[in-house]
Amino acid sequence: MSRGGVLVVWLVTVLAVPGLGAPARPPWPSAAAAVAAMLMAPALVDYEGTKVLSAVRGDRAETVTALESYKRLGKLRLEFLSPESVSGRLIVDDGASSWQYEPSYHLVIRGPSFLRPPGSPAQAQDILRGYLVAVLGAEEVIGRQTIVVAMEPRAGGAGRRYWVDQATGAVLRMEERDATGEIVFTSFFTRISFGLNLPPALFRFHLPAGARIISLFLSGDPVDSPAALRRQSGFGAAMPASLSYGYRFRDGTVSRFGALATSAATYTDGMRALTVYQTPSTKMAFPRVGMQVKLEAADARLLDLGYVRLLIWQWRGITYALAGSLPAAALIVIADEMTSR
Amino acid sequence: MTHARLQRQLSAYLDGELAPAEADEVRTHLAGCTACREELSRLQHVKSLLQRLPERSVPRELWAAIHPRIGSPPTATVESLGEVFRRMLRRPALALGAAVLIVALVAVPLVRGRIERLRAGEVGADLFVREHALASADDPLSDRAYLGLLIGDANLALAGTPREESQEDR
Repeated sequence: MSRGGVLVVWLVTVLAVPGLGAPARPPWPSAAAAVAAMLMAPALVDYEGTKVLSAVRGDRAETVTALESYKRLGKLRLEFLSPESVSGRLIVDDGASSWQYEPSYHLVIRGPSFLRPPGSPAQAQDILRGYLVAVLGAEEVIGRQTIVVAMEPRAGGAGRRYWVDQATGAVLRMEERDATGEIVFTSFFTRISFGLNLPPALFRFHLPAGARIISLFLSGDPVDSPAALRRQSGFGAAMPASLSYGYRFRDGTVSRFGALATSAATYTDGMRALTVYQTPSTKMAFPRVGMQVKLEAADARLLDLGYVRLLIWQWRGITYALAGSLPAAALIVIADEMTSR
Repeated sequence: MTHARLQRQLSAYLDGELAPAEADEVRTHLAGCTACREELSRLQHVKSLLQRLPERSVPRELWAAIHPRIGSPPTATVESLGEVFRRMLRRPALALGAAVLIVALVAVPLVRGRIERLRAGEVGADLFVREHALASADDPLSDRAYLGLLIGDANLALAGTPREESQEDR
């Protein structure tokens, strides 16, 4: 065949077979590998960056900017920059307890840590059982290569999408969408530095001179069954072992705030938490927060904080509350299910 | 043992109430401590003064007054309470004051319970959000900064200083 003939054959083949001749795409990790990398990232890297959080509340979005610094294993420092209402707030979590400083009140609030050890293989399995996980592709975020991971709950409800740094496994961007596909929460770094081995002193809280200190450790030791929680609280209807949307009982505690004692049962779908509260109505007036909604057996109030929703109702002498990131309609389904038992 | 603790034991040392090892320790300390030696000397002086006081026996009349009252019913108290009640009836202002006091003693816990119930209604939602955010920390892929924000806002409300909405929030 002549040289011209070879060129024609090559051209026809390239046009007929898409992708042929293009540079080879680097292989994306499997869904399981992506989840494992995300869970292990807190054990591997320190970072310091500026993060923007945006939560949709009704018809408006609240945007918050913070400096976030993280040190292995489990130390966090948050300095809130905007809006004005949170500007100057400092939170230091050393893995044992958290310290919150409010400069406008010259007030320090000490409470339990909200950091946990890096995720385990068992947690990865839990997530893969409860969610359909897919790697959608690769994208660049603030100049770094990321893979895009989608997670949809198998039992229905809001899905999440993560932009995971390929080099470290850290999440650089995150979105949560409701059942209709609307974005209800986003968080993303506008700047991040990795592997700085940040100084430990940055994660120690230094008490400002003359500041008032309040301790808020409200929950007792957790129990691992609904029956044990009922025994410990001494009130309330039986807690179910499972709820709709794939939520199963994880643990329970009794919280005390002044004279108010509340039992809290936490359920999980493998990743997200849903908490059911019960407290005697004689100890708590019905909160007039949020908007009124109708349950089959009672009137309820729905407080929408964007990422977290709270449904409160009273029934047979008990005030119930459901807190979670499920859509309002899903919370109402669960509430109706609980009151019809 | 410190100087201060040894000094507190001087009185017991003087009375011979210390164990042999403790007494030895005090003795050794006294040899090198002028202040303790002076304190011991003062105690010895007081003790010698007390020993010189004459002993007095209890007067017989005192025992005769106490003995019959042992084991008898406290009638005097009952009588005095009755007397107080009659006196109050003779003075209406006093009776009214007592009635107000009794009502207050009953009403205060009720009112306080009601106030606590209303306060619980005000902060209950914040308490639930805070505890839920803490429970959500077990979700390994939750956003820590957002949890910190939720917990921080709820903490402020529970501390009695809720976060105010700024122009930007509105």
